[in-house]
Amino acid sequence: MIGPSALSREFWETGQSAACPIYDMHGHMGPWSAIYFPRGETDQMIRTMDECGVRMLCFTHHSALRCPDLGNAPSIEAVRRYPDRLRAYCLINGNHPDLVERDVAAFAQYRDVYVGFKFLSDYFAVPLSDPRNRPAWEYADQHKLLVLCHTWGGSPYDGPAEVRRMAERYPNLRLLMGHSCHGEWDEAIKLARDLPNVYLELTAVFDDRGILEKFVRGVGSERMLFGTDLPWFDPHHAVGALLSADISDEDRHNIMHRNAEKLLAPFLGKE
Amino acid sequence: MHFFDCNCYFGRPIRGSAAPVPTAEGLLAEMDRAGVERALVWHIAQLDASPLTGNPLLTEGIRPHPRLIGCWSLLPTQTHEFPAPTELFRQMREHRIGALRAFPQADGYLLNAITIGDLLEAIQARRIPLLLSVTRSVRWHEVHALLAEFPQLTLVICDHGSWGMDRYFRPLLARYPNVYIDTAQYLLDGGIESLVADYGAGRLLYGSGFPESYFGTMMLTLQRSRIPEEAKEAIAGGNLERILAEAQL
Repeated sequence: MIGPSALSREFWETGQSAACPIYDMHGHMGPWSAIYFPRGETDQMIRTMDECGVRMLCFTHHSALRCPDLGNAPSIEAVRRYPDRLRAYCLINGNHPDLVERDVAAFAQYRDVYVGFKFLSDYFAVPLSDPRNRPAWEYADQHKLLVLCHTWGGSPYDGPAEVRRMAERYPNLRLLMGHSCHGEWDEAIKLARDLPNVYLELTAVFDDRGILEKFVRGVGSERMLFGTDLPWFDPHHAVGALLSADISDEDRHNIMHRNAEKLLAPFLGKE
Repeated sequence: MHFFDCNCYFGRPIRGSAAPVPTAEGLLAEMDRAGVERALVWHIAQLDASPLTGNPLLTEGIRPHPRLIGCWSLLPTQTHEFPAPTELFRQMREHRIGALRAFPQADGYLLNAITIGDLLEAIQARRIPLLLSVTRSVRWHEVHALLAEFPQLTLVICDHGSWGMDRYFRPLLARYPNVYIDTAQYLLDGGIESLVADYGAGRLLYGSGFPESYFGTMMLTLQRSRIPEEAKEAIAGGNLERILAEAQL
């Protein structure tokens, strides 16, 4: 056992909790150049989700991130195979404005698939605020979509200054700070405090002991979202961090499912 | 399961840390909270300051606490800062030091036969575990080169990076029988299950990476992995018990 709480006992003994399902707001799928994934394909990931009590995963297929020629098609295919378990973010890469224009124009055809857009600005060397990304931001703001941004401390492409710029410019969308501006924790807290449309997404945060407590104290668990980069990181690792952290079971419920349920309601026909 | 952590430290780091644990007593309190019974520990000053500073701090810190086994770090002997093998092993026995670490980049030497071969040969012959932290002070090609020179070394590869380093360490597991991998940073989904299927449960050691990581992350991951119960017990602590018992100090 890794803690005294009721949730700890349940996860330790069964691997999941019926009362505390997980909504993983940051995932991927498929091969990636530098890493071996034992469970990287769709069916394997669904198995992991079953074992860990992950009710839904919002993801972007690695092919969308790394192969513009394939683009978002593999994400769409996977969601339509598992419509009760998966939703996708439509990847936007400003290096290919023609594809941005095409994918934004087609977005409405995939309302059963997409919950919003994904930006991986560090990897593309295109700042979030680059004009080539503008069509997606404007569309997301107009339709109150979720926008998951890879964010990293110190980055000129998606560090705190860029996040602030976009969240202020587009107040109607929900900006999910993937990795919570990793390393610039105080800036991430400040952003979430200052801007009501900014959320702290926790992928790669779970391995830094003490940050969960810092976020709960600094912002509150109502603004924190569970994420794992699945298939990169085992969801039980993340759950283990939440159960180990000096926070309450109410905080854990907020982070694992309540906040995501509210954000996803418009996209799941529950609002 | 009985958890015996192979990879945790105490002491105040020079870099910012969200939740440092300055003392051995603080470490034990956190171990009790998580349900970790024993630990093979080091002091952060061994890396941040010097083995000459950190090793004594470790020795003093663990002295009253038999649940903690120490892990000193090495220096080459040519500069007369570090004892020769026979004296080193005597001191290790005296101070409950069960294993050794090396931080060659931080300490400014090459981890090879020319530089530190006298110690490495003795360590290999006596099966004393050597722990290398990949993300702190050694690179993969250095680990590969070290094992080419000392193929029977009992080597525990720690902190190998959270972005799935299987393509670096699996060849070492396949070729060298005394290489072990710790679980700290082995966050890879399905990683434990896959590694056990390919190399058996005997090659993986529970390590937390505490205080930078929580004890509970890899505890829960191991507990819920799809491997037999006896494999979980071995990884949680049995393997570390065995390799420490095999060391001839």
